[in-house]
Amino acid sequence: MNIIEVRNLYKSYPQPGNKKESFNAVDGITFNIEVGEVYGILGPNGAGKTTTLEMLEGLNDIDSGSALIDGLDVSSNAFKVKEIIGVQLQANEYFDRLDLTELLILFGKLYSQEIDSEGLLKKVDLLDKSKAKPEELSGGQKQRFSIACALVNNPKILFLDEPTTGLDPQAKRNLWNLVKDLNAAGMTIVLTTHNMEEAEYLCNRIAIMDQGKLVAEDTPHDLIQKYASEPQQAALHGNIEDVFLALTGHKLRD
Amino acid sequence: MYSLLLPGINLGIKMFTSLQLHLAKVFLKIFLRDRQSILFSLFFPLVFIGAFLFSGGESDPINLGLVNNSTNSVSKNFSELVTGDPLFNVTEGEESYLKEQLILGDQTAIIVIPENFDYLEKTGELRLLLDASQVRQLGAIKEALNTSLLSIERELRNVEPMFRLKIEDVKARPQRYIDFLLPGLLAFMLMNLSLAGSGFNIVEYRRRGILKRLFVTPIQPKDFIVSIVLARMAIVLVQISVVLGLAITLLDIRIVGSFYSLYGMVILGTVIFLCLGFCLGSIAKTQEAIRPMVSAFIFPQLILSGVFFPISSMPELMQPFAHALPLSVIATGLRDIANDGTSLLILNTTTLGIGIWIILSFIIVTKFFVWKEVAN
Repeated sequence: MNIIEVRNLYKSYPQPGNKKESFNAVDGITFNIEVGEVYGILGPNGAGKTTTLEMLEGLNDIDSGSALIDGLDVSSNAFKVKEIIGVQLQANEYFDRLDLTELLILFGKLYSQEIDSEGLLKKVDLLDKSKAKPEELSGGQKQRFSIACALVNNPKILFLDEPTTGLDPQAKRNLWNLVKDLNAAGMTIVLTTHNMEEAEYLCNRIAIMDQGKLVAEDTPHDLIQKYASEPQQAALHGNIEDVFLALTGHKLRD
Repeated sequence: MYSLLLPGINLGIKMFTSLQLHLAKVFLKIFLRDRQSILFSLFFPLVFIGAFLFSGGESDPINLGLVNNSTNSVSKNFSELVTGDPLFNVTEGEESYLKEQLILGDQTAIIVIPENFDYLEKTGELRLLLDASQVRQLGAIKEALNTSLLSIERELRNVEPMFRLKIEDVKARPQRYIDFLLPGLLAFMLMNLSLAGSGFNIVEYRRRGILKRLFVTPIQPKDFIVSIVLARMAIVLVQISVVLGLAITLLDIRIVGSFYSLYGMVILGTVIFLCLGFCLGSIAKTQEAIRPMVSAFIFPQLILSGVFFPISSMPELMQPFAHALPLSVIATGLRDIANDGTSLLILNTTTLGIGIWIILSFIIVTKFFVWKEVAN
């Protein structure tokens, strides 16, 4: 059963440097996500991943096309959609001078819910930091905390925007385990990433975006079979990074 | 009064949702944990009150040296009159000693009474030695000396003065500069606190992605704005009360009108400046842009709005503009209540001005504060 249905989604912005012309940041993409899936959106910088997520989260207006989340149209039911999703943004800063417990209670209130802050902190392994301020946390701890904030409403779908960017391998593994646990408990997870290993390890299915278009979508295994079955280097077989580069080219994007 | 007030507060609280109240509490908590900003928002008005407290609100007497080379009754009479004038702080002594003090700046001027100081033979001549840098006080000194001389002359010639100037305040109350200044100062304080609470905070929250994070939750923009307004209102009311309380106890300020009107005016003023602050915060995209914008908003008003001196002392061409500024409307409103005892409920140009600014700021804020754009 599909929990997310995206049809012909478009979003255009004025061209940087030339305000009169516009370009399609998201250029007519269509995909479905099933209940209980971990769905990864891969792409180079500027591919339209974050814009796509922001349209699904109600942060950005949809120019044309439609997006249904749990049967609700995002454009006309933005506030109802927000009730059932959890969102971790790339920027994870919070109000100053509040500790983790106070922030979680505040986020709970935004959903009109009394929350179990201890339970949430325990889930993301931050119980000993309950009286700490977010700025006192390490990068990995900050990311885990921002996932805790995204879980206050016990969402059906969790959106993670580049959750492991900038983390060291240990913190990254730790976060992967958290995502796996949440998914095992039944949560649908949509994430964007640059990290091929992450996509391959975590995702049931992967969509590869480039220049606003969806250029491929399949399970990691089938994508490798299809695009990178011939090893490019001395490895036994290609990996999902080979798939990525084969599809989006080797040119630097920023 | 207390028992009347409590149900009112209860009713007031019930008007707001639990989310709005919780969020307002959070904003208050954030503010209360920021000791520095509390201190600095009180610093300016407290320094003013302190300055007035130590100077007693009056200007200092002029230090005047007196050299009396004459011994007759006319000179004695004159020196007594000058010494008795509260405008002067008189030191009698030798000319050479007083001259040294004049050079050091300890004396502002020296009067030398000549040996044969008498009016009978010819007009008596007094010498006034001055420090040129103190010339701005010359007018006051000359005026007082002339008056003293005139009264001595009359006394000696046995003539009654033809005219006497009696100064009477039509409003029949003592008006000191601090009475004029304090309401303006309060208005200025509430403007700063409101702008900092809405304009600066919004830009800061947007820059750090905090608004975006809030916007992916089901919070309505209305809840966000109401809670900021509630929190700021509490902060403004407490700080205004602290300054007002100190002014009343230490400087013997009398509030002629009712406190209900005074606080009503404070609340309306805070609402106006919070709304205008939200607009500035929505227009300014960056922290770098909001600073000059707020300065451009504050400084002309600080100068033109009659906080420190009356608008009527300004060039005539500027007066209508000065009167229309929100700060001057609120400062005048507070002054009318504090000094003249008018009520917030009486319709006059000031209350009309307040009404217009409330409507105007509501229109502007609903036009400019677009949640989606502000959050992104």
